[in-house]
Amino acid sequence: MKQQAAAASTLATRPLGRNRWKPLGIQAGLIAAPFLLFGLFLMFYDVNPISLYGSMISSTFGDLYGFGEVLIKATPIILTGLAAALPARAGMINVGGEGQLAIGALFATWFAVFYLHSMPFWLGIPLMLIAGALGGATWAGITAFLKVRGNLNETISSLLLNYVAVFTVGFFVHGLLKDPESFNWPFSPEIAATLRLPIVNGTRLHVGIVIALALVAVVWYVLKYTRLGFRIRVLGSNNLAAERAGFKVSWMQVGVLLAAGALAGVAGMIEIAGIEGRLRPATGANYGYLGFLAAWMAWNSPIRLVFTAFILGMITVAGNSLEISSGLPSSSVHILMGLVLFFLLGIGRRFSR
Amino acid sequence: MITDILTGAIRSGTSVMYASQGELISERAGVINLGTEGSMLCGALGGFAVTVWTGNPWLGTLAGGLCGLLISMIHAFLVLTCGANQLATGLTIMFFGMGITSFFGRGFVSEQIVGFNPVPIPLLSEIPFLGKVLFNHDPLTYLSFILVPLLWYLLFRTRLGVILRATGEREDVLFASGINPQLIRYAAVLAGGFLAGVGGVQLSVAFTHSWVENMVQGRGVVAVALVIFASWLPFRAMLGAYLFGAAQALQLTVQQTGLGISPFFLFMVPYILTLAALYIVERKKRSQTPEALRKVFTGTSAG
Repeated sequence: MKQQAAAASTLATRPLGRNRWKPLGIQAGLIAAPFLLFGLFLMFYDVNPISLYGSMISSTFGDLYGFGEVLIKATPIILTGLAAALPARAGMINVGGEGQLAIGALFATWFAVFYLHSMPFWLGIPLMLIAGALGGATWAGITAFLKVRGNLNETISSLLLNYVAVFTVGFFVHGLLKDPESFNWPFSPEIAATLRLPIVNGTRLHVGIVIALALVAVVWYVLKYTRLGFRIRVLGSNNLAAERAGFKVSWMQVGVLLAAGALAGVAGMIEIAGIEGRLRPATGANYGYLGFLAAWMAWNSPIRLVFTAFILGMITVAGNSLEISSGLPSSSVHILMGLVLFFLLGIGRRFSR
Repeated sequence: MITDILTGAIRSGTSVMYASQGELISERAGVINLGTEGSMLCGALGGFAVTVWTGNPWLGTLAGGLCGLLISMIHAFLVLTCGANQLATGLTIMFFGMGITSFFGRGFVSEQIVGFNPVPIPLLSEIPFLGKVLFNHDPLTYLSFILVPLLWYLLFRTRLGVILRATGEREDVLFASGINPQLIRYAAVLAGGFLAGVGGVQLSVAFTHSWVENMVQGRGVVAVALVIFASWLPFRAMLGAYLFGAAQALQLTVQQTGLGISPFFLFMVPYILTLAALYIVERKKRSQTPEALRKVFTGTSAG
């Protein structure tokens, strides 16, 4: 309950947070409503929503492999979700998770291919992780610079930079980082086997999820129990008060954005070291936006984010099977996500009346 | 070569220009709409679809505009009636637009249309340099030439314009004079959505003559950025849009000349140029920002 009160400090959640006495059932109902709407939508296209949601759940919890697949999808969503949630707590909207992830993946691959290939795993993997974080932070640093120095709204600049990031990755995989043995396919050489994250037997699941959960715990702890976290929350709920209290608002904003970028960059590194093994032009595409969505659904609370990211992971996996089994494009999942967010946004205010 | 780039600037800048003029209207009323991207996508698909069905690009334009308007209605409802955060709502609309257009657009990917084609204006297009640059375009581009001065006149020389601008600056004044600012905001957002939709139509029906999934490629976001760059003035937004267009036209020209510049750098240029322009302009001024918008930007508005 206390946590909900804390969540009240953010932009989006202020109305919802006030509502802590209302039964949890209503909140669950609100989460369910868009799924019902999407079910109706599916029925128009001759897809049985009940069997779809049913298969979604059974494929997730039915066997270890399916569960692992969902966790694999949830891992980057958790991290890019943190990259959106943390700035949101400080009153900023970072939509740049997409680009920050891509550049993180680029940095991680670059280091893995050129410098770390002969290192033992206990040294190479952490260094690669740092490289990824560095890449994400660099990209977020541009947004931060533009915000602090140029007074440029971070939403717009981070959104525009996502497009630039995609082209940057495209430039590298077509050029400097291109695999010489790839016969003109645009991807990087494969990273050394020692740099791949350890995998759970019988699945594709790697230890990335542990890293993600550890970072969730760190962010949660910092926000909740440290002075820095308190300052971030003050900044988010009232930046005038923060200024009057003598906080160095600009520096805090830069710091928060850099941290957010680093988190998204780690997601990029995990995609490379855990799943793909090499950089492609579309590595990690859409995870940034999914993470943003997960953060909003979780009202920017790190703990809830784990659950919403898991749900989105389930939907993404289901979206893939949807495409295979019923021929619906995976983009229809975007529609579901849009609906979920519309509900959350629209009801946020009305709820408190 | 310069003629090519300038002609290309107008040709590929027009879609952004429509969208940014629309966004300008809605921002003048104090509502920022990042959903412009979604409106453009829906307009592009809607306009293309209707053009395929009826063969009449003008009906397509109307339909595309209406699609854009419908999408922006979601934004208006969530932001104005439900009090949701403007930036987050706009983003959601952007995702939603990507989703529904790639869903409904599957069948149109390989369709071909006649659409709008460049119509040289009889006498004017024979002027040596200007004729080629300015008077050899599709009808929607000509329409946009008229739209900008018209919008300027509306904003700064009519009563309606005063009301619209007051909505973004001092809504209590409007209340005092018996006008409902919410109503004006609704109208402004819807008008913005309509123009963004027309911009989308220009892209799919007049410029590329095709529908490609997610073809707007951030032009809607650029349009929003350009409005800020333009300090909320129609003619400057027009200039900004043509700058963006020129950067895109540069791509084609450079590729044709076969210079050894990576195409990816050229793809980036329009976005980087937008950011750079914004940075330079935004550093200096803050005062022109409509009052209601400033609250959104600094994050102190209702969430």
